[in-house]
Amino acid sequence: MLPTYCPSCHAQLKVECLKCESCGTEVNGSYDLPVLALLSEDDQQFILRFVKNSGSLKEMASQMKLSYPTVRNLLNDIIHKINSYETSL
Amino acid sequence: MKNKNVFGFLMNPFTRIAGWQAFGLGLFFVVLMGLLGAYSDIAFDGVIDMHMIDISLLQSFLYLGIDLVCLVVVMWITGLIVSTNFRFIDILGTMTLAKAPFLLLSIAGFFTATPDLSEIYKNPYIIFQSVSFVILIALSIPVIIWSITLIYNAFKISCDIKGSKLTVAFIIALLVSEALSKVLIYLFV
Repeated sequence: MLPTYCPSCHAQLKVECLKCESCGTEVNGSYDLPVLALLSEDDQQFILRFVKNSGSLKEMASQMKLSYPTVRNLLNDIIHKINSYETSL
Repeated sequence: MKNKNVFGFLMNPFTRIAGWQAFGLGLFFVVLMGLLGAYSDIAFDGVIDMHMIDISLLQSFLYLGIDLVCLVVVMWITGLIVSTNFRFIDILGTMTLAKAPFLLLSIAGFFTATPDLSEIYKNPYIIFQSVSFVILIALSIPVIIWSITLIYNAFKISCDIKGSKLTVAFIIALLVSEALSKVLIYLFV
């Protein structure tokens, strides 16, 4: 799991360096993490599952053994988190 | 750990069951309540109310029908006011299943001796002489609390509301549905 917050002061981390494993080239800068990367591992798994199920909450509910409104509420929570991340950027 | 899970499920089964599935299961319990209640003299004359009176089978089902319609309609209207994204079938299903604990009182009614009403009017303390009646009253308290907890969780999950908005909307909706059911039962049954 990609670390997204500073373990010392809990501020949001930025990407400073990216490296090509083929030729060793390093790209340095200060890049924001993608919004999806800021979500928890569970939330990211939920989004992956959502995409794999073509956005069918009914299908997800039966796979996760949860009721439809519970799955829809989980999605609403993620939407709320994404909205708050986007407004804080 | 397992006991905790069972308790959690009994208090909030709606994370796993909702919609048509909850409605089917709830309807089964409600029909059973109506049948048993008619023969054990338990009348559910209010959304969260129960009295021990002599009733017919038709009255028993009319009481339960009015209770359920009032609860579902009031919770649905409240949901429309405070929430935006929910399905009517989830309200209908979860609210119907939330009535299930009252089945225990329908069954308990068979083991309860009803004190004579005229005697109670003369001396209200006479009810304490009927042990089975006192047990029924004592049992009704946790059953009503259980049912209110279920209605709360049903509303919370079906409408996806949280915090003080949920608490205020729920309390108002429950009181309105109880009052409405009482009025309709008084007028039509």
